[in-house]
Amino acid sequence: MAVATAGAVNAPKKSRVKDRQASMYPIWLLYPAAAIYGILFLLPTITSLYYSLTRWTLFNSEFIGFDNFIQFFQEPFLYQALINTVIFAFVTSGLKVVLGLALAVLLTSPLIARDFLRSVVFFPVLVSTVGVGITFTILMHPTEGVINETLAMIGIDGPGWLVDRNLALYSVALVDVWRGVGLATVIYIAGIVSIPADYYEASRIDGATRWQQFRHITLPLVRPAMFTVIILSFIGGLRLFDLIWTMTKGGPGFSSDVMASVVYKQYQSGFYGLSTAGNVVLFVLIAVLAVPLNMFLNRKVVTR
Amino acid sequence: MSGLKMKDLRKSFGAVDVIKGVDLEIEHGEFVVFVGPSGCGKSTLLRMTAGLEDITSGELWIGDQLCNDVEPRDRGIAMVFQSYALYPHMTVAENFGFSLTLARAPKEERERKVMDAAKILQMEHLLDRKPSQLSGGQRQRVAIGRAIVRQPEVFLFDEPLSNLDAALRVDMRMELSKLHQQLGATMIYVTHDQIEAMTLADRIVVLNGGEVQQQGAPIDLYNSPANLFVAGFIGSPKMNFTKVKVRSADATSVVVGSDELVDVMVPLSGRKLNVGDELTLGIRPHVLTTDSIGALKGTVDLVERLGNETIVNFRLATGAQWLAVLSGDIVLKQGEAVNFAAESKDILLFGADGRNLATAS
Repeated sequence: MAVATAGAVNAPKKSRVKDRQASMYPIWLLYPAAAIYGILFLLPTITSLYYSLTRWTLFNSEFIGFDNFIQFFQEPFLYQALINTVIFAFVTSGLKVVLGLALAVLLTSPLIARDFLRSVVFFPVLVSTVGVGITFTILMHPTEGVINETLAMIGIDGPGWLVDRNLALYSVALVDVWRGVGLATVIYIAGIVSIPADYYEASRIDGATRWQQFRHITLPLVRPAMFTVIILSFIGGLRLFDLIWTMTKGGPGFSSDVMASVVYKQYQSGFYGLSTAGNVVLFVLIAVLAVPLNMFLNRKVVTR
Repeated sequence: MSGLKMKDLRKSFGAVDVIKGVDLEIEHGEFVVFVGPSGCGKSTLLRMTAGLEDITSGELWIGDQLCNDVEPRDRGIAMVFQSYALYPHMTVAENFGFSLTLARAPKEERERKVMDAAKILQMEHLLDRKPSQLSGGQRQRVAIGRAIVRQPEVFLFDEPLSNLDAALRVDMRMELSKLHQQLGATMIYVTHDQIEAMTLADRIVVLNGGEVQQQGAPIDLYNSPANLFVAGFIGSPKMNFTKVKVRSADATSVVVGSDELVDVMVPLSGRKLNVGDELTLGIRPHVLTTDSIGALKGTVDLVERLGNETIVNFRLATGAQWLAVLSGDIVLKQGEAVNFAAESKDILLFGADGRNLATAS
């Protein structure tokens, strides 16, 4: 009797050990990815949080509390950059959302050479941003650029795209839209083709015109794709650096400076702690704007 | 309110002819079912009626309007799709009233018509729900409600019950039948399920290969199929067939037989048949009985005892598989040799061209 009881008690113990071994197995598979993520993302993020609180010369650092943040917010052109960043994000994401949808609707309707045109629209996404920046800097040259020369041919005196203080930021924004609208279009196309054809047929019988079909069927049902485009392009706009830097370097003056270019300039000048603090501010700014936006948009997605 | 007329209606996709000349006249208030196997063109014919497919040639009249080039919305039709095609972002009420919203109907009229449809379908309590919050049967009813609100002259149904489970399908079938009586509208219904066709239709149109094989009242199609295809398609389980040869023939009857079939006499008048002519003999499973001196010799392969009836799967000497549905519980063993019989009036004969000799002109 005693033996039987002991056996009965032992048996589940053994299987519990086995269970634990079994449950460890998938965890082992996670380690490589976790290590890479930890080293390349978590560690730099946490150390940058620390270094933003120090005076940092790359060789040694001295803890100075929130001095960097105080100094960062006292930067004379910071508010201009902050406003520019938000304007840039709104203008580029707004245009990508609207133009991308228009192109996607066009490229999902029966067209000659539709697949070719889809590739053409996506092509700028594949080109290096620095390459795009340099090319457009040449094209937008106030006197010798192709754009203004073309305008001159039809009698229009083209503006100083990148040298006009009031225009430079918007010129770069237009180039960013040109470069990024292809990705938005592809996301929209995926969204539109996943809408069942039955809805369009049913609405045709219900009496919908092309415009009514767009307004009542396509637009509400393409929302998930639209929200992806909004979030991706808005975050992309807030943290944009490379195009601004290759095209205007924040100029003329500080008129097209954005947060990222201000941070970079501080970094260039050797204020590593200060620029790290600027990065933390940018991170918080993106989180404060993008997280509620994302939550708001997700609530509006329709379940089929 | 009006009927519908098709005159030599044809449809081709490139070089492929899908509908090969359909002539059909549907009376006002009639419930017509298009039935046929997959790819027979029944859905295409319905979509041509709806205006979702172009008509290659021929004429389509709805009421007294030639509709070949008329937009779907102006044809006076409403369609219920197989997938229901309910707009997922709209509530039930919005789905019901979508056609009125598009037509910018006054809010009052819209609400009244939506409520009327909801009452007919007993869905008043579900008007604020989204389609994703409804069961399959409820979604089906919303699709029908959307059609009712349009007050169409002709309702078109494209396999509307095929996504429902068996029990719900039976319920919905009865509801559709009631709805037809209640509304008195013309209805065209497409299905591949011949039981749906038999139970719902005033008239069945059997299609195969883009051509009308036969049309008529369900029971007429069952009793007097025009050809081998209709005989095999209408009725469940399927009719049994075997090849036979004419042994002798006179003015009122013909005697046929084959190696596995003792000669049987079938009443048949007005036919000129020669001894030795090859025919196909057809017998429905339900009319077979066991009989020790029966003309059909079979070997039992499988017996399904359902209590009220017994389904016997048996093999003829030629290897042909036949089915008999015997009433009552009958004990038969696998491998047992059994003789089956049928009354001669229940035996159908089909000529070499597949046509029913009793009905062909």
